[in-house]
Amino acid sequence: MSSALQSFEAALRARPPDRLAAMRAESMRRFLELGLPNTGDETWRYTNLRGLAAKPYVDAPRIAAGAAVDAAASWLAAASTAAPVRIVNGFAELGDGAPPERPGVTVRSLRSLAAQDPEWLLERIAPAADTDEERWALLNRALFVDGIYLRIDSPVEDPILIVHLALPGGADTAVHSRVIIETAPGATATVIEHHIGSNGAAVLANSATQIELAADSSVEHYRVFAGNDTMTHIDALTVRQARGSRCRQFTIALGGALVRADLRAKLDGPGAAHDSHSLLVGHGSRHVDCVATVLHASPQATSTQTSRAIASGTGRVVFNSKVVVAAGAAGTQSNQSARGLLLSPTAEIDTRPQLEIHADDVKCAHGATTGRLDPDMMFYLLSRGIDRAAAQSLLIYAFLDDVLTGMSSPAARSAIENALIAELPDADLLREFR
Amino acid sequence: MPGKNVLTISKLRASVAGKSILKGVDLQIGAGEVHAIMGPNGSGKSTLAQVLAGREDYEVEGGGVTFDGQDLLAMRPEERARAGFFLGFQYPVEIPGVNNAYLLKAALNAKRKRAGMPEVDAYEFLALIKAKMKFMQMNEAFLSRGVNEGFSGGEKKRNEILQMLVLEPRLAVLDETDSGLDIDALKVVAKGVNSLRGPDRSIVLITHYQRLLDYIEPDHVHVFSDGRILKSGDKSLARELESRGYDWIQEGRVA
Repeated sequence: MSSALQSFEAALRARPPDRLAAMRAESMRRFLELGLPNTGDETWRYTNLRGLAAKPYVDAPRIAAGAAVDAAASWLAAASTAAPVRIVNGFAELGDGAPPERPGVTVRSLRSLAAQDPEWLLERIAPAADTDEERWALLNRALFVDGIYLRIDSPVEDPILIVHLALPGGADTAVHSRVIIETAPGATATVIEHHIGSNGAAVLANSATQIELAADSSVEHYRVFAGNDTMTHIDALTVRQARGSRCRQFTIALGGALVRADLRAKLDGPGAAHDSHSLLVGHGSRHVDCVATVLHASPQATSTQTSRAIASGTGRVVFNSKVVVAAGAAGTQSNQSARGLLLSPTAEIDTRPQLEIHADDVKCAHGATTGRLDPDMMFYLLSRGIDRAAAQSLLIYAFLDDVLTGMSSPAARSAIENALIAELPDADLLREFR
Repeated sequence: MPGKNVLTISKLRASVAGKSILKGVDLQIGAGEVHAIMGPNGSGKSTLAQVLAGREDYEVEGGGVTFDGQDLLAMRPEERARAGFFLGFQYPVEIPGVNNAYLLKAALNAKRKRAGMPEVDAYEFLALIKAKMKFMQMNEAFLSRGVNEGFSGGEKKRNEILQMLVLEPRLAVLDETDSGLDIDALKVVAKGVNSLRGPDRSIVLITHYQRLLDYIEPDHVHVFSDGRILKSGDKSLARELESRGYDWIQEGRVA
């Protein structure tokens, strides 16, 4: 058994058992039996976890609320007028100094819910299958220390910001946190999850988020990975959508040595609509791997998947998208568009859109292209006197435009654009360009 | 002709992918002059335009070009533009996501910066561009669209002329700006070009047809064939070409 596996098992054993202990033990037993996924597993072909498996991890320490946190403030804070909900090293900071609740929004700590009403919570924690895709979600079921339960009961305009903050813990630390989002019928909200780490945090963050959308409700969800270059983000997002519900999802990878972001959406009622967008930046030596699966389980549902990946240096971006149309899901419409932009000869982008159709009368389209900056566009800009570096930045920015324009929260979009622009040469010029 | 040449091309040779295209071009363009370069398809007219603009796909194999006394070929494409060289593209590329108005402003500021001038005032710029668009009979909605995005062929050509009007180049080379235009659009484009004529500005019209020259009267006409200028004359040469075709000149060369 690898060092990582041993340390995960030891971590669970060392903790005082809580009222979810049976579920945790069972999840851990299955996880240890299956082990970490490896490059022989279908969805892990391009992502090697050997370095990670060789390390022993300790639980990240609980940090007193508010301490040392200001040093790593979220650059997305301006996206919400309310104070963010913070999850620091996996622990939700609710209680003293916690953000006040807003009309239509309920926020609870999973840790306190586990103590007060474990049965109720167990019913809500999403199951994880034994597939290689859900291996880390299984580990999260075993090890999540805390997290947030967020319920939306009515239309809520101001975006809700959740900041996942990892702080250094001396050794290699692991943080396992979970977010559960539920809506009431007809409710709407924008939820932004910002994953960051303060400097020097050699952290493995294994987070899981589940979104349960009631009939005719709507959520715009962002997950933004922006850890430093010693951080590993592994995130499993599951979405289940009832009749007429709408989910617009944005996955933004802007930081972290390794980002693995999974999305599994199930359209479980007629007329459900799911649009996921990915903006994946593999600069330097970063590795970004995104696996998105949308299951059309009901008729007349629609989905789109739009991904824009850029890679430079020796960076690598993998985007696997898959649409599965179940038998009986007539009238399904889906579209997958995956485009990659290579900025250096040593960078690599692998995209693979897949379709699995078991129903008649469906409209499913998909396309994938990866290439370099268009020399004709480049020359056109140069011939108008634009600097080479600026022209390159403009074209990269333009390439990402399809995802950015899909964001309906202007404040979130503006913050994400700023962070993105900071990643590109000629940041000043691009700021003026917007 | 004494001294005041804006552009002097001498014995220019260039190739693409090992294939020789320009085979010794000699041309002098004086300040305030309008030249028309005519010739059959594949003769190398467009290659000349691209080489002058600095397209890297072309290998310059010999000869030289001076632009206001500077070595044009030693300058990068963006430097040429800032020094006052303008290429009107035969096929302007669409650049979705890069805003038309932004490109114009950035281009103008790049040129002003080189001239030691401050950046253009946002309000003044908008007023300027709206006036020029009105003159070119263009819809202001184009400003907020991507560069040439979804433009018809004629709209793209008008946009090239609009850029030229805003940038006020020292030398404009317009590569088949007339191709694909209906007569009304052609008149608008010609009006734009004519409005820019002046003692300090030179214009080179590259065209396949004489039609454009009915609206923009050239001072000199050159016939381009097989990578060089075979014959030069005044505007009557264009009419002669129109009635006799290009063959008689090419035959003349053999003889």
